[in-house]
Amino acid sequence: MMHSVSKRILVGSCFLAAAVNLVHAQSTTPGGMPPPPGMSLANSTAMRFPQPVRVGDLLGREVLRPVESQDILGRVRGLVRDRDGRIMVVVDFGGFLGIGARPIAVPVDAMVLLGQDMEIVAFTPDQLRHFPTFSPSGTTDVADDTIIKVGLAKPSH
Amino acid sequence: MRSPFRPDIVPDTAILDNHKPLIRSLERRGVIRGSLSLGALVLLTGCDVKRPEAVESALLAISRLNDGVQALLFNPNRLAPTYPASMILRPPKFNAYYDVMDVKPVDGATWRLEVSGRVADKRPWTLQDLRAMPQTSMVIKHICVEGWSYIGGWSGPTLRIFLERIGADLSAKYVAFKTADDYPSSIDMATALHPQTLLAIQYGGDTLADPFGYPVRLRMATKLGYKNPKWITAIEVTNTYPGGYWEEKGFPWFAGL
Repeated sequence: MMHSVSKRILVGSCFLAAAVNLVHAQSTTPGGMPPPPGMSLANSTAMRFPQPVRVGDLLGREVLRPVESQDILGRVRGLVRDRDGRIMVVVDFGGFLGIGARPIAVPVDAMVLLGQDMEIVAFTPDQLRHFPTFSPSGTTDVADDTIIKVGLAKPSH
Repeated sequence: MRSPFRPDIVPDTAILDNHKPLIRSLERRGVIRGSLSLGALVLLTGCDVKRPEAVESALLAISRLNDGVQALLFNPNRLAPTYPASMILRPPKFNAYYDVMDVKPVDGATWRLEVSGRVADKRPWTLQDLRAMPQTSMVIKHICVEGWSYIGGWSGPTLRIFLERIGADLSAKYVAFKTADDYPSSIDMATALHPQTLLAIQYGGDTLADPFGYPVRLRMATKLGYKNPKWITAIEVTNTYPGGYWEEKGFPWFAGL
């Protein structure tokens, strides 16, 4: 019972405190949904009202999983352009308290901004576990003062 | 130890579970933290805890009492903390009762702000009109009832100047808002006249972006996040309690910080 009540709070409301008629609260889109099947990452970012952000402001941010518990997947280590010119976010992924984490490169269009944090919306933790460890060869760093556009999401909790 | 005063037939504990969200919202007010038990609920509702409406109305009565106490404690001249511009989060955090993909941008060129109720001049306003008003900037914390916060920088005319300009009855009780995303909201007149209550048209020195309420949203330093409607389309000055989107679902109306 308590579990289902808390579920309902989380679906569709930005609030921890709650409502009398939550049973009847309208179903609303949860935040951080993965891109619809078949849609390119770039197109899915375009739907998320991408906003300008300074690359230097992204460094060190926590990277969360877009679920209720907002598990911390890692931290932003830096941003690079890969051989094809795509902007990738290098995330120190996994480990415990930063120990045992390894860098992986996630396309910026697979991620969203969530206030001070970021989320990876296009890949599950299982998929990320199979990402190769990032190697800087063939990539170029994106300077801190560069302004890029990143999509948004509402909080997943 | 089992209380010697425990009745033989006890109320169903599921009643507390049923109303857990509301009880939790009340606990957040701090006024009755820890004091609400099944027994207290029974006292409040005249033993009729089996009737969900009775429990609900009792809890809502406490919530209204809290609103009244908060209104009494509100000091119209006391300023909330402000922060240096270097701390502004760019871009701000998006939030709504739906995800960002469902945001319907408003066309600022054709947008009009309707004015109604206890005001002398009911001419609709354009974005140009708002830009021509004296602008105030503030760097304040946005605090969500859910527990997160961020520091944001907002600019626009104060709601006080706007209300004075339209010849509003400043002794009226409420200022109500309608929005393009169907998120009605309302505040008390004391807060409407507070110097840190803005009709924000800029964020961090730039025109407000679509997901954050372009062309105009409310920003108050003295209330929780959900009291700040975005994409405002109409303002009404009234003495009739207007309620609001979350308030209709049981959230506190005053929601002061």
